[in-house]
Amino acid sequence: MKRTKKIALSAVVGAMGLAGFGGAWAQSGLDCGLNNGKPAAGEPIPIGAVVGKTGPDDFSASGQAAAAYFKCVNANGGINGRPVDYIVVDDQWNPETAAQVASKLVKDRKVVALAGSTSFVECGANAKMYADEGVMVIAGTGVPRECFNARNYVPVNAGPRVSATIAAMYAAQKYKSKKMVCIIPNIPSLGNWACEGPKEWGKKNGVEVETIAIDPGSADATSTMLQAAAKKPDTIIMNVPKGILVPMLAAAEQQNLGKKIHFVSSAPAYNAEVPKAIGPYWKGNFDVNLEFNPVESAGPDNKNWQAVMDRYGAKSDPRDTFSQAGYVAARLVTQALLKMDPKKIDRASVTDALRKVTDFRSDILCKPFYVGNGNRHNANNSGPVASPDGNGWRFAPGGCLTADDPELVDIRADEVKMGLK
Amino acid sequence: MEDYLPFVISGLGLGAVYALSGVGLVVLYRSSGVLNFAFGAIGAIGAYVGWSLLGADWPQGLAWCAAIVTSMLLSLAYGRLLAPRLSHRDPTIRSIATLGFALVVVGFTEWYWGEQPRRLVLPTDAGAIEFVLGEVEVRLTHTRALGLALAVIMMGGVGLLLSKTRVGLKMRALADDRDLSALLGIRVLGVDTVAWVLSGAFAGVCGLLLANIVRLQATLLTFLVIPAFAAAIIGRLHSLPATVAGGIAIGVLEALAITVPGFAAFRTATPFLIALAMIVFYRTGTRPA
Repeated sequence: MKRTKKIALSAVVGAMGLAGFGGAWAQSGLDCGLNNGKPAAGEPIPIGAVVGKTGPDDFSASGQAAAAYFKCVNANGGINGRPVDYIVVDDQWNPETAAQVASKLVKDRKVVALAGSTSFVECGANAKMYADEGVMVIAGTGVPRECFNARNYVPVNAGPRVSATIAAMYAAQKYKSKKMVCIIPNIPSLGNWACEGPKEWGKKNGVEVETIAIDPGSADATSTMLQAAAKKPDTIIMNVPKGILVPMLAAAEQQNLGKKIHFVSSAPAYNAEVPKAIGPYWKGNFDVNLEFNPVESAGPDNKNWQAVMDRYGAKSDPRDTFSQAGYVAARLVTQALLKMDPKKIDRASVTDALRKVTDFRSDILCKPFYVGNGNRHNANNSGPVASPDGNGWRFAPGGCLTADDPELVDIRADEVKMGLK
Repeated sequence: MEDYLPFVISGLGLGAVYALSGVGLVVLYRSSGVLNFAFGAIGAIGAYVGWSLLGADWPQGLAWCAAIVTSMLLSLAYGRLLAPRLSHRDPTIRSIATLGFALVVVGFTEWYWGEQPRRLVLPTDAGAIEFVLGEVEVRLTHTRALGLALAVIMMGGVGLLLSKTRVGLKMRALADDRDLSALLGIRVLGVDTVAWVLSGAFAGVCGLLLANIVRLQATLLTFLVIPAFAAAIIGRLHSLPATVAGGIAIGVLEALAITVPGFAAFRTATPFLIALAMIVFYRTGTRPA
């Protein structure tokens, strides 16, 4: 990674890393649970995860990272002597399958909690069941609206709405943009909701934001970009998956729109392959919000995630933001369980312990994370901004921006109640 | 009108490649009686090969040729190894078998190359014909212009091949009655080879152009055979000029659909709707021999 990136990162992660990750390190250089190097041999504690592995995309990286972390915990004393029995199931991107596999975990395997879940379909299918059964899900990455509007579902990531809002705020701050267009796929439960954040923030801040819902299967990206440009915006907010983003930016480049309009994006654009795929035209000309601190950052917890993956993960497991999220989720659950009496670990006590998490720290996150007793969860609502520099990403100075999405008013009220503000 | 012209120009380039794909489908249908559902998948794998070779710093021309040759070889392999075993089966079965082949090819492509975002850049992207329409500027890249030119040239070329050459006559005879043609001394496998190789070449060229204009993604490229089928249906699986006109019309209408409130987010349905309308329109007629 470039030196400039490292300098920018150090400001972001340095203080938090020192404050939040000062625990003792195991002799192996890894920090996992008790760090005593003794394999756990007691009665296993069942913890589950629902991931969308097979289907349009592989969303299993969070589960893989959580599995690696729990392996490390089990090799280092477990949960006060009890190993974690981590069970990952595949929902195949099918809501019906998601309901079946989650029911099997919760009702048959009697998991005490779920950690590292990442699925496009399971929030809608299972959120009510999780609440009815009193089981908490500390998810890796949530995408649709339902993931951020459920009492027992706690995504570690910020989500597309918050991420797009931060991207819009950055464009207003850096480019003084007054008119923006937000492009979003017309996917149920994602659709307009994910662009409503920038729109509502814009209303409060004198910025006009229009939404264009696109057909993600359309072969014609040029018309979409021409339609967006016809609205004469200063900035176009791309709120689309990376597979659609690349051809849309190519179409914008062919129309030379990047020279007249600023382009920003929510988190899906942050991927190691994207800068190379979009090419030199977008060097320093495209800004992306990240839901976490960068995968290469030098904070101790981020380094620990990398070391855990190298030691306990498979070589083929991705080292991406999904993986970071799964690791954070597993570490949060482990930390909560370690504070409990190992003989009194059951679902109700674990749910109670997780709801009491109000100051979880990791330099992977911009701010301390919490679960709390709220009716919905969006504790991660800050992130840094990066731009492609040809082959990789260059991080914007100034560190993390916090989303000023009016929809977060209840979240802010919960934070005040918990004494976090 | 000024509001719509940018979308007409934008749709022209894509429509041209639909047209070219439609010609590739019609030429195989007219010579072997097979509707080739694997056309998109065969083109996609060629495009991936081209992308890999360009990434390995092969010269542009050589990488393009390798991409097209890959598609031709794959098409030939199917045409020589699998298609003859089905030659006496019902035309529907022969066509559906190509769908199975498409699924195998797309499965392999996704497994081998994975789902990472990629972009196939062609040197013809750098230049463009610029249209200034009031305050709006639209660029038709040279790649899209090339697609348009190829569609018209290939329509003429294939038309001449089928109507004026001996091999074209044999191809038409084979499609009409395979057994009778064989009895008359036509070398069936030889003619089949020409038809499948030609169809593979079309698939390779269209794969490269679509991977550039649309996106380098195996599944999407595979299913872009649908607008090409719609174009071929407009040509009643026979007329090359009507297929080309139909392909261009589909591209333009799909682009214009973005201006229709409520329908814009569902505009990929445009080729289906057009194909459906044409089937209803043609329902009373019969396909010309």
